[in-house]
Amino acid sequence: MPQSASLGVDIGSVSTKGVVVDQQGRILASEYLWTEGDPISATKKVISSLHRQLSHEVQVRSVGTTGSARRLIGTMLEADVVKNEITAHARGTLLRHPDIRTIIEIGGQDSKIILISEGVVTDYAMNTLCAAGTGAFLSSQAKRLGIPVEELGDMALTSKNPSKIAARCTVFAESDMIHKAQIGHAKEDLVAGLCHAVVSNYLNNVGKGKHIEGPVAFQGGVSKNKGVSQAFQSELGQELFVDEDSHLMGALGAALLSRSAQRAKSFDWEIADLAFQTRAHTCGGCGNHCEIVSFYRDGSLLDYWGNRCEMGQVSKGSQIIS
Amino acid sequence: MTIGLPRALLYYRYERLWKTFFRELGCDVVTSPETNQAILAQGVALSVGECCLPVKVYLGHVAYLANHCDHILVPRFETLGKGEEFCVRFWGLPDIVRSTFPAVSLLGYNLQGHKPNSQALGFLHMGAQLGKSIPKTLQAYRRALLAQQQQDQQAEARQQALLSSSDPRILMVSQPYIIRDGLMGAPLVHMLRQQGGVPIYADSCGRSACRDGAKSLSTDLYWTLNKEMIGAIPLTRPHIDGIMLVSAFPCGTDSLVNELVLRRVRDLPVVQIVLDEQQGEAGLQTRVECFMDILHERKRAYEP
Repeated sequence: MPQSASLGVDIGSVSTKGVVVDQQGRILASEYLWTEGDPISATKKVISSLHRQLSHEVQVRSVGTTGSARRLIGTMLEADVVKNEITAHARGTLLRHPDIRTIIEIGGQDSKIILISEGVVTDYAMNTLCAAGTGAFLSSQAKRLGIPVEELGDMALTSKNPSKIAARCTVFAESDMIHKAQIGHAKEDLVAGLCHAVVSNYLNNVGKGKHIEGPVAFQGGVSKNKGVSQAFQSELGQELFVDEDSHLMGALGAALLSRSAQRAKSFDWEIADLAFQTRAHTCGGCGNHCEIVSFYRDGSLLDYWGNRCEMGQVSKGSQIIS
Repeated sequence: MTIGLPRALLYYRYERLWKTFFRELGCDVVTSPETNQAILAQGVALSVGECCLPVKVYLGHVAYLANHCDHILVPRFETLGKGEEFCVRFWGLPDIVRSTFPAVSLLGYNLQGHKPNSQALGFLHMGAQLGKSIPKTLQAYRRALLAQQQQDQQAEARQQALLSSSDPRILMVSQPYIIRDGLMGAPLVHMLRQQGGVPIYADSCGRSACRDGAKSLSTDLYWTLNKEMIGAIPLTRPHIDGIMLVSAFPCGTDSLVNELVLRRVRDLPVVQIVLDEQQGEAGLQTRVECFMDILHERKRAYEP
């Protein structure tokens, strides 16, 4: 008996996440891997991995994408829904925890706060120009200390006396951390200090002026770091829900949001074997110099974007010129 | 004789006044095109780094006009009267332009509302500079005033009609020279419309009514343009679903006044968007999309 399911893919700057869920939103298959600057290849890997995990009974009837490469990958997968990360995260979280009031999300390159009242998103904020309180900051500091980023959290928990590290800005935090290391602070104290720095940075920037009400959910890649999670708990004075699938909430939300589509023909997993290519060029039609990206499948144009007016149009049937 | 009008800053407020005046005097008027990347790049190259984005854009427009006209209109705006003041960029604008373009001939007037008939005297002075008689200049000035007034009233009436729209109505609290600019505000407005939003412009809500309305948010403000922007909030409150505060980096007055709005307006979804010259569209898209999602969700949840 064929089982109807939905596919959700969350393509972030650092990691790409994919889930296949059944009609009740139960996860049938999931994958999480690094984007490594190539969202198309990362998505292909995610798709083939999900396919391997599923039984032949499962037929994917709808596809949703989210994350910063949602449009590109949405075109690639012919997605039914292409949604921003905030709505997708809220949707995924509310399925698991319907009573959540605040979602703290820290990803690779951006961090967000989402406020929810009676199951409706009422307010949100994102980090703007500064990436200080994000995963990218933690991983670059981990590299500097010679510690795998996955081990940071456990190491932080062993610290009895976290170093105080300036949290205003990544550049200052880094020089402050080096200074503390040079005057003899233990590594675990430095790591714990970094985790605290991420939290106070988040609360002072993204969370500024927002009333954080419980229950609070913590998600995004950084939520896997127990040190940060514990720092949040001590700072906010309340427990945080960190779902075991907290890194998959965006993908889950995208899958759920697509559910109503119910295509007649199920999703074709062979997409992972097709050749996808992007080409960027600058339009010289007027003074705007729009950067136009054209997206090709097996050499023929699927879609293009970036133009502000008709002058930048790329003719539909055009073939890639190599 | 050709007069050049830079399509930036107060052009969006006095276009009709200026065009009518110079045409009535028998001059040709040339306006720079909508802001594009080339104009912005030129403006950025001519400005000091600390300059705000709208002034950089303004200098780009002046550069475009430099070889297309005999004089460029660059007025100085100080105040409309007691308790009113313009941002210092408007006080210094003719000086900034003159020092950046020493060879360009400027025409201008000085708005000092605390002195009697300051605007009329300024226009008479411009007429004299162009070699026109006092009666002819006065007549042109009166016609120009009337034309501007009519245009403002029409814009207000058009906007009034949008207030009863059933789609989510978003009050765009922004300086007109940002939100109506082809490069700064236009992509944002386009995104909003694509997602079913109806933009309501704070600068088409009646200026003096807005200045009065601003008192319900703060009685201490003296920046005229900011008062006119935020005063639209209490005026349109029953007819709007959300507020977008759109500012350009690094605007001093907006950064202060928008923070005040964020703290004092608590009963409507408010989002703040700061535009800058390095803006990537992706971040903007996410913010607008999410804001629209919130408005649609609220409508669904709270309205029967």
